[in-house]
Amino acid sequence: MNSILSDPFTITYPTAVQTSLNSGASFANFDPSGSYVAGGRPDGSAVIWDLDTKAPIRWLEGHVKAVTSVDWSQNSRYVLTSSKDWNVIVWDLASDTDPVRRRATIRFDAPVICASFHPRNSQIVLVLLSPGDAYLVDQRKQYRSRIELCEIQEESEEEGQGSRPRSLMTVVRFDPTGRYIFAGTSAGSVLVFNTRTKTMIARHKISGAGIIRALDFAKGGRRLVTNSSDRTLRQFNLPVYATSAAEGEYIEQELEPTYRFNDPINKNAWHAMAYSPDGEWLAGGAADNASHKIYIWDLANEGQFATALDGGPEPLLHVHWHPKKASIVSTTNVGNILIWHCPTPERWGAFAGGFEEVDENVEYEEREDEFDIEDESEIALRKQKAEDEEIDIDGLVEDPSSKQVEHVQRIADDDDDVAWAAEEPDDDHPDWRMKVMVEEDVDGM
Amino acid sequence: MKPEKHSSPPPVAGPSKTSSSDGIPAYKTRLILSGHSKSISSIKFSPDGKMLASAAADKVVKLWNTETGEILNTLEGHTEGISDIAWSPDGEFLASASDDKTIRLWSLEMMETVNILKGHTNFVFCVNFSPKSNLLVSGGFDETVRIWDVARGRTLKTLPAHSDPVTAVTFNHDGTLIASCAMDGLIRIWDAESGQCLKTLADDDNPICSHIKFTPNSRFILASTQDSTIRLWNTQTSRCVKTYTGHANRTYCLFTDFAPGAKYIVSGSEDAKIYIWDLQTRTIAQVLEGHRDVVIAVASHPTKHMLASASMEKDMTIRLWIDANSAT
Repeated sequence: MNSILSDPFTITYPTAVQTSLNSGASFANFDPSGSYVAGGRPDGSAVIWDLDTKAPIRWLEGHVKAVTSVDWSQNSRYVLTSSKDWNVIVWDLASDTDPVRRRATIRFDAPVICASFHPRNSQIVLVLLSPGDAYLVDQRKQYRSRIELCEIQEESEEEGQGSRPRSLMTVVRFDPTGRYIFAGTSAGSVLVFNTRTKTMIARHKISGAGIIRALDFAKGGRRLVTNSSDRTLRQFNLPVYATSAAEGEYIEQELEPTYRFNDPINKNAWHAMAYSPDGEWLAGGAADNASHKIYIWDLANEGQFATALDGGPEPLLHVHWHPKKASIVSTTNVGNILIWHCPTPERWGAFAGGFEEVDENVEYEEREDEFDIEDESEIALRKQKAEDEEIDIDGLVEDPSSKQVEHVQRIADDDDDVAWAAEEPDDDHPDWRMKVMVEEDVDGM
Repeated sequence: MKPEKHSSPPPVAGPSKTSSSDGIPAYKTRLILSGHSKSISSIKFSPDGKMLASAAADKVVKLWNTETGEILNTLEGHTEGISDIAWSPDGEFLASASDDKTIRLWSLEMMETVNILKGHTNFVFCVNFSPKSNLLVSGGFDETVRIWDVARGRTLKTLPAHSDPVTAVTFNHDGTLIASCAMDGLIRIWDAESGQCLKTLADDDNPICSHIKFTPNSRFILASTQDSTIRLWNTQTSRCVKTYTGHANRTYCLFTDFAPGAKYIVSGSEDAKIYIWDLQTRTIAQVLEGHRDVVIAVASHPTKHMLASASMEKDMTIRLWIDANSAT
């Protein structure tokens, strides 16, 4: 709403640190509304911060070893934490109890590297176990299952059986529609699985990449960026995958990156990367052990380097872009969460009514009738007439950012895979409210 | 408290053909609530409409059952008179602004003070919650607007907002904007996150501004001023698009609101009446009589066609009105 009243020519990436939240976290993610940040800590707890008040509002204490990932359900009611203690916990933030109630604890027999919710149904959880096995856990009554995602090996291998070791999965992610699961492997390829059938539908070899470390998608899901052990971020345009492939059939296709991003001077590797919500900017967090640097590239301008943000001396561990705004959250190795924003200069002209600030002198052009003497009754009449115009006090001005999301959903709505995910919906209603918990320790009481 | 004659199903006035949605309002007194011992200053319906909260110069907040008119609770704690109250949108809290320079945060669950917000250096005059209930804005005679963290009870920001006492302050529907108005006659719109002033709406004569309210879509601000006028401002173009007149407002900060259904504007008046205007045509649709003193506060029920009004010293009652032309 405020964007309508403020300057329309806003810069589209953040430029300065607004706040530093001292949270002991090793990484932090915005929720889908952009109101909260969840940070995972090496001591096994996770903390939810309210960005309006810049204060921690919930502590999620359930793991005994380091938290490895945190994910939010689509309306932010459920939070998932995964840990090296072999567990994944789903927390229900709508519970008004302290500590927060768990909806589920999912146990495995190995440390969990990362886990995430299906974008449309938090009862479907994607999990990657150490050393490199991915599982899709479905907690819906009708589909209750835990299925391993297996890479299909080339059948026509002539060198004999067992000569090639199975490649390990190093990262798994849902695409933004939830129809596909993307997995990066230690052999430098990206595998694509259909979420509903759990079968592999494509394998993309990425030459020269080495081990794939991370994946991120532009909001529409048409573009993918990879981080790999060759210290390069690559962006790809994804092909369209057939909706109904026959059993065992898959695409074997090498993907050619549209852009490659690396640090030409220090040859730094990358810890994390994130697309801006409009997909026009890419932020990369440099794995530099003496500084906190975020590189920003302009994708609308042929991937040109735009700027490097300097967050001070504490090395960076993680970067995540705000779902709607020019804001980034980055985490330092001493546990501080930095919130980056785009500061707007104070416009003193705003304090005066009917006053417009101009940057340069403007030649004043008088309107023909500007100083004509007019009959007062005529003015009153004209004013009356203008006031007769019908106005709309209920209809909301459409927010361009929300429209974009709807567009993505519309494409996907008439789809078997989406319908499948929508079955047995979770209780993550858009109108649930985070209860405000008043802190007991109040001075003067 | 004594129900008036029309407390049982009111007779349908006017032609029976008028449908309930576009019928002319025909509000009639349903209940008269008395209990305050000094002038009432503010009344607000709870978000579910089951309760009405009232505050008065007698230092207490009272909660009323809107169906029966019973007093459900009297909240005591302030050491001076109260000027304004607000419900948190989640229905969990009430905030009251007092001349004792504090704001008290009351838990509806426990019916007691859970926090006292201290920081204003003079009378606190107005208060409102953010849509998520996690923030509170207040304004007062120290000419500042303060933004508070509800959970911790601490000031997040102090805006040097005006050059006279702040008479009303409110968030917009999505909580990104704050609007304030003051006795300096200015209406200012602020960015809630940064606290920066985005614009100032001012009329040529700068009459004292009594009260402001955003329209449901936040595109307009309804402002009542002490030149006996209510104006609807377009916040984008900074132009006044509608003016409503006919009532009397020269001395007090009278509340104004959109009547249930959002097709009418309602305001109290210093002639002891309540005026209802058609939002679009700006003509007076109904004048409600019954109070015996200045009607300082009016409030609209969130779902039903019900109004509440409160009057000052010589009357000290709250009246609940229901629309006879409305089916519910």
